[in-house]
Amino acid sequence: MPARPSLPARRLRRSALLTALLAVPALVLSACAGSGSAASTSGGSATLKWATSYFPTHWDPVVGGSGAQFRELALVYASLTRTDTKGNAVPDLAQSWKYNSTGTEITFHVRPNQKFTDGTPVNAVAVKDAIDRAIHQKDSAIFGDLTSIKNVTTSGDLDVLVHLTQTDYQIPLLFGERVLQIASPKAAANPTKLDQAPVGAGPFIVTSLVPGTKAVLKKNPNYWDAKDIHINNVQLIAAPDAATVVSGLQTGVYNFADITPSQASAAKSAGLDVFVQPGFNAENISLNVNKAPFNNPKVVDAVRYAVNRKEFVDKLTFGYGEATDQPFPPGYVAYDNAAADLYPYNPAKSKQLLAEAGYKSGQIKLTLDIPAAVPDAEIVQSQLAAVGIKVSIDIDKNWATPFFAKNLTFSLYGTTGRDSAVQTLTAHFGPNGPLNLSSPYEPAGFEAAIAKVRQTPIDSPDYAKVLQAATRVGLTSKALIFTYVAPNIFAKSKSISALPAIPGHVDWTGVTIS
Amino acid sequence: MVRRILSLRAGRLAAGILSAIALLAIFGPLLAPDNPLGSSSKTLAGPSGQHWLGTDYLGRDVFSRLLDGSRDSVVGAVEVALVALVVGVIPGLLSVYLGRVFEWTSLRLADTLISLPFLVFAVAVTALLGNGITQAMLVVGVLVSPVFFRVSRAATLAVARSQYVEVALISGASVNWIVRRHVWVKVLPAVAVALAQTMGVGFIVVSSLSFLGIGVQPPAPTWGGLLASDLNYLHYQPWAPVAPSVLIMATVWGCNLLADAIRDVSGETGRALINTRKAQANGLGAKRIPVEGRV
Repeated sequence: MPARPSLPARRLRRSALLTALLAVPALVLSACAGSGSAASTSGGSATLKWATSYFPTHWDPVVGGSGAQFRELALVYASLTRTDTKGNAVPDLAQSWKYNSTGTEITFHVRPNQKFTDGTPVNAVAVKDAIDRAIHQKDSAIFGDLTSIKNVTTSGDLDVLVHLTQTDYQIPLLFGERVLQIASPKAAANPTKLDQAPVGAGPFIVTSLVPGTKAVLKKNPNYWDAKDIHINNVQLIAAPDAATVVSGLQTGVYNFADITPSQASAAKSAGLDVFVQPGFNAENISLNVNKAPFNNPKVVDAVRYAVNRKEFVDKLTFGYGEATDQPFPPGYVAYDNAAADLYPYNPAKSKQLLAEAGYKSGQIKLTLDIPAAVPDAEIVQSQLAAVGIKVSIDIDKNWATPFFAKNLTFSLYGTTGRDSAVQTLTAHFGPNGPLNLSSPYEPAGFEAAIAKVRQTPIDSPDYAKVLQAATRVGLTSKALIFTYVAPNIFAKSKSISALPAIPGHVDWTGVTIS
Repeated sequence: MVRRILSLRAGRLAAGILSAIALLAIFGPLLAPDNPLGSSSKTLAGPSGQHWLGTDYLGRDVFSRLLDGSRDSVVGAVEVALVALVVGVIPGLLSVYLGRVFEWTSLRLADTLISLPFLVFAVAVTALLGNGITQAMLVVGVLVSPVFFRVSRAATLAVARSQYVEVALISGASVNWIVRRHVWVKVLPAVAVALAQTMGVGFIVVSSLSFLGIGVQPPAPTWGGLLASDLNYLHYQPWAPVAPSVLIMATVWGCNLLADAIRDVSGETGRALINTRKAQANGLGAKRIPVEGRV
């Protein structure tokens, strides 16, 4: 009879067996997760299950601002205008609009017989209230975009007169979904409550909301374009982690999601529809020229020459992005070809400029403040290390506060752009631009160049030329170095029809779920 | 003690694994064949003669990053264990001898610390004090310390009420002498078991925090951090998480085996201590079984 193993030996064997037993189901589960078919994802009802990596922190559009979250808020709120696939302003809650002869006043005619989901009428007073709130509310994130507005008056029940401080033909684009999503004035009387209990006149109504986690919405039958909304229910879910989103799509937990470029191939392999929504995204390196060492123009130029945009594109976009040295993608109406490639990648020149500025290799030590670990930061770090600038990365969960207070010296930012090119330019280069880390610094001649764009009607043959001239002036700013265009990649179940290709937007008009 | 541990198969295995990990922590960064922070254009490359474990999303050599990340991963776990040891054992011993006020206060404090979720707390502390491994592990060490507090208190209680200690007290021995001469010897095996287990727990905590991007600033590699970044590129490198996972599992397993081995060689005393703890957990603690009386 064989000897019974000693207790330690048995325990050793038992722990190894336990490890193996735990590993086997884990592998089986992961294999199962990878074998689900996209055909089973829709759940068979017109329910959109949208996993988003930027679940709104604020549901009051005035507080939420013009960032990517406006796409989700657009489920609830309508605005005066919207944009079409060419980026032109088209009617939304405003049926029509008209400028006066000098371009200093614009009258919006609101659609008749519209109501917010709390029963409050959508009328001129409600629109005036929304504009006034955007300008005057203490925590407004968009007041800086409304500097052209002198005041707002109403005429009759449906006409809103917007009086301007200067001639500005950008207003119809400005009053779209990014800046003027209109909340019920009754609900907005309590902005704190509105921030977590949104009430709008958009295509959907929020029925439940778990802050930061999940929102459940149903179709708004009284939406002015309800006939073109074919989705009955929406579940908006905060995506837990980029690596798990494709699995969630495969298994039917979601049927629509924004995904990172690194997940696109996996999503395609899983039989999902992967598409790139056109947009105006541009990533940048933000410098504060009010602080050392960036108060030395030669150091700024050295950093500009040290940046190899191709590396960002090759390593981060997986073939879906492109390089840009302007706050928009190449090909956009505001992109100025004359100002393209002003600072090509040239590490030798960068080192020379640093030497001329009096810095030896390794003498400049910078802290790159960012809100979360992103490979972009590591690329910046390695590219600057190559020219002798030592960068340490500091991840600060409270990054937004010092960034928007302009207290940081060196940071990264990515914009989803704006419908109005002027808004994009002023946000980046204007003295109070939220994305100008060097406020109140602005490039010489910028205000005049922007004023000229505002004075040029968008349908004027000169518009593109004037706009590009303003971009050229803006790019003389030493506060921003643009790097690449991050793509708007989405993956969806095949049961969801194609979305309208409206640049920068996620629009559900006409979309069906089979 | 060491010889007795090595006489067991589990002890030998634990010693082998933990020695290898310790060597990696000490010499790993020196042994790295490539610059662990040096990127290249060969991103997400498969294993090859040049890159044994392939390259990551920025073209960095994964094997070099794994070696370079050993130190931070191990040092964090050691820090947790040592902080927990110091913060837990001394009050555990003193709670038996310093009177009812200290006993009541220290017990309630231990109960409070146990109720705090240490991962969440570590995240909060790094948000307050800055994202660094030292402060994160300091907090985790304090939160894990009730394990040592309870183990050392239970062992001390068992010894303190034994007849030979009472005899020593009657004979005029000081509390200090009794602790050094009788109590510490009996407490040590239980503390050693807890220490080995806490190292394992600390390692999991370090790996979890670095997996979440907390504690170590990029681009510094850690095993948990490597695992986290690998998950984003599973489609391209499905094998990538294996190496850091195996290292994490092996280290934790090694710590647990060592704890088992220490417990086994600590003999009847060690088992008795465990039995006492179990008895207390089952509501029999009030009887305070005199351990030495069973020998």
